[in-house]
Amino acid sequence: MSEQDIVIIGLALATFAIRIGGFYLGSRLPETGFWAASFNALPGCLIASLLAVMLVAGGTQEYIAAGLSLTIALTTRNLPLTMVAGILSIWALRHFEMFV
Amino acid sequence: MRKTSEYYTGVMDITPLAMGVAVYGVAFGLLAAQAQMSSLQTAMMGLFVFAGGSQIVATERLVADAGAIAAITAGVALNLRMLLMTAALRDDLKGRPLWQILLGAHYTTDENWALLHAKRAKGVDVGYWYFISGGAFIMLIWIISTVAGVSFASLVPEPKSIGVDFAFTAAFIAILCSLWRGKEDLFPWIISISTAVLLASLAPIETSWALVIGGVVGALSAGVLSGKSRDYDLESVGG
Repeated sequence: MSEQDIVIIGLALATFAIRIGGFYLGSRLPETGFWAASFNALPGCLIASLLAVMLVAGGTQEYIAAGLSLTIALTTRNLPLTMVAGILSIWALRHFEMFV
Repeated sequence: MRKTSEYYTGVMDITPLAMGVAVYGVAFGLLAAQAQMSSLQTAMMGLFVFAGGSQIVATERLVADAGAIAAITAGVALNLRMLLMTAALRDDLKGRPLWQILLGAHYTTDENWALLHAKRAKGVDVGYWYFISGGAFIMLIWIISTVAGVSFASLVPEPKSIGVDFAFTAAFIAILCSLWRGKEDLFPWIISISTAVLLASLAPIETSWALVIGGVVGALSAGVLSGKSRDYDLESVGG
């Protein structure tokens, strides 16, 4: 078996274990009070954290493009439009070498 | 919502995100070509691993000659967040036949998971089949685009040169806006963001850990806050 096959099989098994393990872990936690409030807040907190980690890796151009995307997202509430705005603004900032 | 209409809206809503996935798929295919993976291996990896970020990280480790164990470890570290994601799906999966639980778990991606919660935050009644159809469509696009990337590696432009590397950053900004439930979210989100930023930039750990710890700490702070506000309510009722 090649090294590539080992990685594919190993990563597939480990990833599936994580996915199914999360569900069983979640099922065992109480449905009211502290844990329920934490769980309901989890989606927003996780996406906020993900965005923070993505943006920390970027520079001024990424921050400006993110700010423009946020403005479009808040005013239009439209996902495809926000994606297009984000791509166009980062492309323009890089192409015209603004705020390097 | 009925099952067939959930299926239909699930695919419709995920389509812009699936276009972003296609770009990443082609980029991953280029990397797979550098790691000397065949089209079949690339397709199998997409089908059975089905986690783009971890596939990219693991394959990048292979290209860097770090060995299979290091490649798997890096991929697993990036997938730790999925533990929290499928945990938050408990009410959607509980009580279903085993095959539907396994399918739902395997079809969990950042895109359909975030979209499910964003729709609900807007008050739209969507459920299991909405989530599954989004996941299935993402998988289809992911496999097609990764195989296209590995097969036509020499013809593809670099994503960064045309700005499409920013597609998911913008998408998650829009999704975060629709996840806003009200002012009770402000403090937990600030906690999440500042924890993640501090850990990612200062602590000597993988950024995946910073992401997971940031998410957990923020969610726990929401739990603590809800306890406080309930105590306050009880006091004001009692007084």
